[in-house]
Amino acid sequence: MIRKLSLTMLFALLLGLLAGFAVAQDAVSITIRCIASPPEEDWRCNNFASVEAEVEAELGIEINLNLIQDNASWGDYKNEFVLASEAGEAPDIILSGHEDIGAWAPAGFIIPLDDVIPMHSEFDDIVPSLWESHGYAGQIWGIPQDAEARPIFYSKLLLRDLGWSEEDIESLPDRVAAGEFTFADMLATAEAAIDEGVVDSGNGWWHRPSNGPDFLYYYYGHGGEVLDMEGNLVVDRDALVATYELLGGAVASGVLRSDIIGLDWSEVWHPTVGQAETVLFAAGGTWNWPNWALNYVADRGGDEYLFENIGLTLIPAMGTGKAITLTHPLTYMISSGSPHPDVALSLIAAITTPEHNNKHAIDSFHLGILNAQLESEAYANNRLLSSAHYMLDHTTSLPNHPGWNAWSGAYFLGIQAVETGEADAAGAADIAIAQMQNELGDGITVR
Amino acid sequence: MTVSSDKPKSSAALIQSRRNALRSYLGAYGFMAPAGVLVIVFFLIPVAIVLYLSVTNLASSNFTSDLAKMEFIGLKNYRTLFNDQFARKIFFNTIFYVLVTLSLFNVSLALIVSLLTTHIDRRAGFFFRALWILPRITSPVVYILIWKRMSAEAPFGILNQFNEFLGYPTYNYVATNPWVFVVVVNGFIGVSFGMIIFTSAIESIPKDLLNASLVDGSSRLQRIRYVILPLIRWPLLFVVTYQTLSLLTSFVEIQLLTDGGPGLYRTEVWSLTAYHRALSNYFGNAQWGYGSAFAVLLVMIGVVLAVIYMRVFRFDELIAEPRVEAL
Repeated sequence: MIRKLSLTMLFALLLGLLAGFAVAQDAVSITIRCIASPPEEDWRCNNFASVEAEVEAELGIEINLNLIQDNASWGDYKNEFVLASEAGEAPDIILSGHEDIGAWAPAGFIIPLDDVIPMHSEFDDIVPSLWESHGYAGQIWGIPQDAEARPIFYSKLLLRDLGWSEEDIESLPDRVAAGEFTFADMLATAEAAIDEGVVDSGNGWWHRPSNGPDFLYYYYGHGGEVLDMEGNLVVDRDALVATYELLGGAVASGVLRSDIIGLDWSEVWHPTVGQAETVLFAAGGTWNWPNWALNYVADRGGDEYLFENIGLTLIPAMGTGKAITLTHPLTYMISSGSPHPDVALSLIAAITTPEHNNKHAIDSFHLGILNAQLESEAYANNRLLSSAHYMLDHTTSLPNHPGWNAWSGAYFLGIQAVETGEADAAGAADIAIAQMQNELGDGITVR
Repeated sequence: MTVSSDKPKSSAALIQSRRNALRSYLGAYGFMAPAGVLVIVFFLIPVAIVLYLSVTNLASSNFTSDLAKMEFIGLKNYRTLFNDQFARKIFFNTIFYVLVTLSLFNVSLALIVSLLTTHIDRRAGFFFRALWILPRITSPVVYILIWKRMSAEAPFGILNQFNEFLGYPTYNYVATNPWVFVVVVNGFIGVSFGMIIFTSAIESIPKDLLNASLVDGSSRLQRIRYVILPLIRWPLLFVVTYQTLSLLTSFVEIQLLTDGGPGLYRTEVWSLTAYHRALSNYFGNAQWGYGSAFAVLLVMIGVVLAVIYMRVFRFDELIAEPRVEAL
């Protein structure tokens, strides 16, 4: 009797397992890979978990979500996707910089979305200018996940020490946007601060300590272009020389330190800039703010300390006479190896709402991607976002081109040359152009 | 009849002799097979693949693992490499880095540590040798973090906190002396390898030989100069050879400490350039083919150096019999 009961139970168990497998086989597995600085950027992947049930109900399927999110280095993260794609193990959705479209679209690792975007009304509300950075070869290859501005942070604390009135300090962003306070004015202010002992030599203005998108706005600010009308790579020598003159001149005048490139981000750059007591002007990104509030000035009051002592403004006008910034939207792209691109897109559409994107925007101080976000209470009432959203009207972006990597590497060489004194501005331009021509051959036009 | 009976006998002996020869060959090759397979799988095949990649334009934007689908571009990558305005600088950086680190740390300091720790109390010697092994067994990331924290500028770095306390000026040490730090950081790791080899060689010298030299009236320094050093000549040559090739391909600590900077490739070495080109850069579109050209030249330099060392140092004699024990 016991034996029969045992056999029956075993049989039932096997049936249950088989049924379970059958259900699991009907479920659609979607893997999503995100890069995010925890905890403030975790919504990049976590938002998908909150819409899983909604999309399941909408499509009438079961979805097994596999969210992989970490803060890997960009180089490793991008290589991982390339290798996984070739191995047939790519995630269904990859979040990365829009400039990767320039390499991954021609490689066939991601799919164009023009035909399917109209199927989801959520995408209609995306800020139109953001689509411009998602194109390649006449098609759209990704959905914007976030936007940001790369402003100049200024220390209110040190400007007060320099004798600026509260009115002068608070009106600075407006004066910069109007072109009344230019980059030359900023450097002159920094020099004055050094002369008066408000800051030490080299601490008048800091830029980022490693290669990255920011450096391109100095070139754009002097009228330079990276792509011509046909989408081919170009380099404008005059703009290049003017850029290097600005950077080299800042070092020569003592405003910028010659060893700024190579400073450790977390050990030196963030704690120094975030505390607002040492550096007068610093070129950073909006997402730096929550990082500072959480990790560097939490004991001084976090956000409140930053609002009291740091302000942010557009990059003051350079040669073109217009204040600018640069937006580097991260983008959800769908792998060409995904067996369920329709489900993947539905998931992306489901999180492309003011409700979900606001969570990311507010926690990480990234700018909204939807027009409706501007009207939403949470976004509009956020003091930080409302002080920066106007920057999208002045923004520029990186090009999507397979040769961008070589272009930017050579451009950065020139910056290193001029800041360490290994070349003057013209010499640095020669170095950069020679490097571009050697690596890109006929693929670059010098103007 | 006699002749005819001899013929099968000599034929049988010949076959037997061939069998014996074959058996001995099979035995020798059998023993070498595991190492041979490892060399083929982990050196020769990868070198062949990298060599092939170096004549293609493989990049992230056209990446494929199918060798047949890669676009053959001949020697274009090598032309680009030799036309690169910084290739010469990176090459001489590599020579400088290998020579200085090898001579000051991997051989000289390793020898000094071995000699000192074998001339003091045995337990104390073991303790100090254990300390010198710490850089080797510490994860490179943690090890470099320690150095960065020590050398960071004021008020973050430990060294600068001493400077501030004593009223001395503060420095951004790594930026102002990048080569000093690159060599010292790598040298401290390299010391342990030579130290272990030299110590075991010194320990294996018969004690009566060492005592005899003292009885004959030699000082400790004279004993080191005329007894110990000649007897550890072969381990010395082995360490020089092995560490040269090891340094030639090492870049992790440099990448983590200076990433080849500051300025224009101030501390960039050849292997780091190959890594930067083929595997890692900020904006993603890695140049696998171009990076492979750098790697191929590095392999060629390594192989040439290995052959030179083997000839100059007569490694065939080294492996003939143990020199120390033969005495």
